[in-house]
Amino acid sequence: MTGEYRPTVALFYCQNIPQSSEDHRRVLEKKYGQSMRLFPIPCSGRLEPIHLLRALEEFAEAAYVVTCPEGACRYLEGNRRAMKRVQRTQDIISSIGLEKERVGIIIESSEAPEPLGQLAERLLERALKLAPSPVLKGAMTTKEHPSP
Amino acid sequence: MPAKYVIHTKPVAHRFEPITRSGIIAWEEGCLKCPVCVKRQCVYGVYDHRHLDARQMIDSIDNQCMNCLRCVQSCPKELIHKSLNPEYKAIGDAHWTPDIISRLWYQAETGKIPVSGAGYNGPFSGPGFDSMWTDMSEIVRPTRDGIHGREYISTAVDLGRTPRHLLFTRQGDLEGHTPNVLGIPMPILMRLPGFGSISNETVLGWNLAARRLGTLMAVPLELINSGQVEFSRWSIPVITSHESDPGRGLQGAPMVEIPWGEEWKDYRDELTSVEASPLICDKIVLEKGAEEKVLRAVDGGASMIHLEGSMGGRFVDDHSRYIKDGIRSIHLRLVEEGVRDEITLLASGGIAMAEQVAKSVICGADAVFVDFAILIALECRMCRRCTEGLSCPVEIKDAAASWVAERVVNLLGAWHNQLLEVMGAMGIRDARRLRGESGRAMFFEELDRETFSSMGEIQEGCELE
Ligand code: SF4
Ligand code: SF4
Repeated sequence: MTGEYRPTVALFYCQNIPQSSEDHRRVLEKKYGQSMRLFPIPCSGRLEPIHLLRALEEFAEAAYVVTCPEGACRYLEGNRRAMKRVQRTQDIISSIGLEKERVGIIIESSEAPEPLGQLAERLLERALKLAPSPVLKGAMTTKEHPSP
Repeated sequence: MPAKYVIHTKPVAHRFEPITRSGIIAWEEGCLKCPVCVKRQCVYGVYDHRHLDARQMIDSIDNQCMNCLRCVQSCPKELIHKSLNPEYKAIGDAHWTPDIISRLWYQAETGKIPVSGAGYNGPFSGPGFDSMWTDMSEIVRPTRDGIHGREYISTAVDLGRTPRHLLFTRQGDLEGHTPNVLGIPMPILMRLPGFGSISNETVLGWNLAARRLGTLMAVPLELINSGQVEFSRWSIPVITSHESDPGRGLQGAPMVEIPWGEEWKDYRDELTSVEASPLICDKIVLEKGAEEKVLRAVDGGASMIHLEGSMGGRFVDDHSRYIKDGIRSIHLRLVEEGVRDEITLLASGGIAMAEQVAKSVICGADAVFVDFAILIALECRMCRRCTEGLSCPVEIKDAAASWVAERVVNLLGAWHNQLLEVMGAMGIRDARRLRGESGRAMFFEELDRETFSSMGEIQEGCELE
């Protein structure tokens, strides 16, 4: 792999973070194409380890979760739960020999929350430091959908 | 009597998980590990068959839950919640609402009429078609043995000019030309939607559906010439440029659509003079002055007019006027001028529900075109990403033609059944008699005026709440 290496990042984000509307999402999609897969979620507490694992298994070199600031969750403790779940996912992947860094959580600060666009940029850079995922090597990138 | 027209439907699965109104949020933390978890007691087995669609990250518990709330209510630690899905609210727009879209998905999948349960909890009246109520006073009759029972209700309509009388020679033969009329089994035609991530395969699927249903599908002329020739009998080539030779490449299509206007007069004349000339439908955009244009078109010998409204079901140039009002005023004007029966009036623009077909006909259309409804049948979310060059979330262009056809047949099958229900309940047995039958409907604005106008004008600032 040379300079052409473009990792795919799965980004799950809580819809309460700044500049995360559907319009903003489209702008980012146009900018990054397939290398940034964006999944808005109603609450970061909705996320389960399985989401992150499936993303790593199917298409992503790295999967990150962005949550609203601590104490600001609409569902009270969604973001705290998300933290624990990300930790659990990290444990799972390191037990099978993957780098922990393939999964991460970003908790917005309440004073200066970072807009989605900036975060995406930063996380893509972070993912660039990772080696191509051994999980995806043999995997089919585009799965056939069940034919009707 | 001709055989009954029945559309056979069968369930056709979706290719993508649909976006549902609400979702389950189930915390794991703090779980008491009860000997029998409420999740195991779900009668629908929602938690047992749980899986995650990695393409869309949609969890099957959201889509399969039937909202009985049993698990939500009985978990002793209240770890399970039901929440509204923000993605659901985000689909579609003010006209193509999430509820309308998801009901279209349901009909395309099952071929069945969507039911909302006991009672009606919708608004009393609303804008557009919602301000029109149909008279269901005969509702006891068709329910006696169902819409497919003994009662014969015909939804067939004729396109083209029906002569006022026939002339016969002394020998008893018909004098002059046999009138060129085209019968379709229900007052619904199909046309290419204004946008969509579609391919030749999709159009092929729509053509297959039109053939199976016995109706017609309007597509640009270029598409017919590029490999869809075998469907020309079920096609309405839409001609938008003078360039093509009149009559060339029509491949025996029974009807064509051209814009109405002076500059099209010669083209039109040539088209009528070709052998076995097709019926000509003149398209007039529903905007200010459309009424006069229609009258002039009738004067000029038009036999069929397509009134094209906006995709939001309104006048193209005036967002505050609805197609129902456009159809109605044009219909009444034609009646006044004594020429209504010389013309077939087709309408299009945002037709999103079966009841709107019936209501359009009551307002005076002979038949309607459906466009975006047949795209939504293919799981379209009306997100318009395709118009921005982004990928389609439901990859419509990759769907097989047979799947496309079955979904559309299901949708229109469900609509046809609803038409039968409505017509039966109104005591109308022939769709041709429903046209302009406004005695079978009440119009909110009119009732409002009749009832309350004698009480004086409503002053601004003191409207009744
Ligand atoms: S609400 Fe009812 S249908 Fe839905 S998951 Fe719970 S028990 Fe099953
Ligand atoms: S789902 Fe969206 S992108 Fe796909 S056809 Fe419909 S509007 Fe276009």
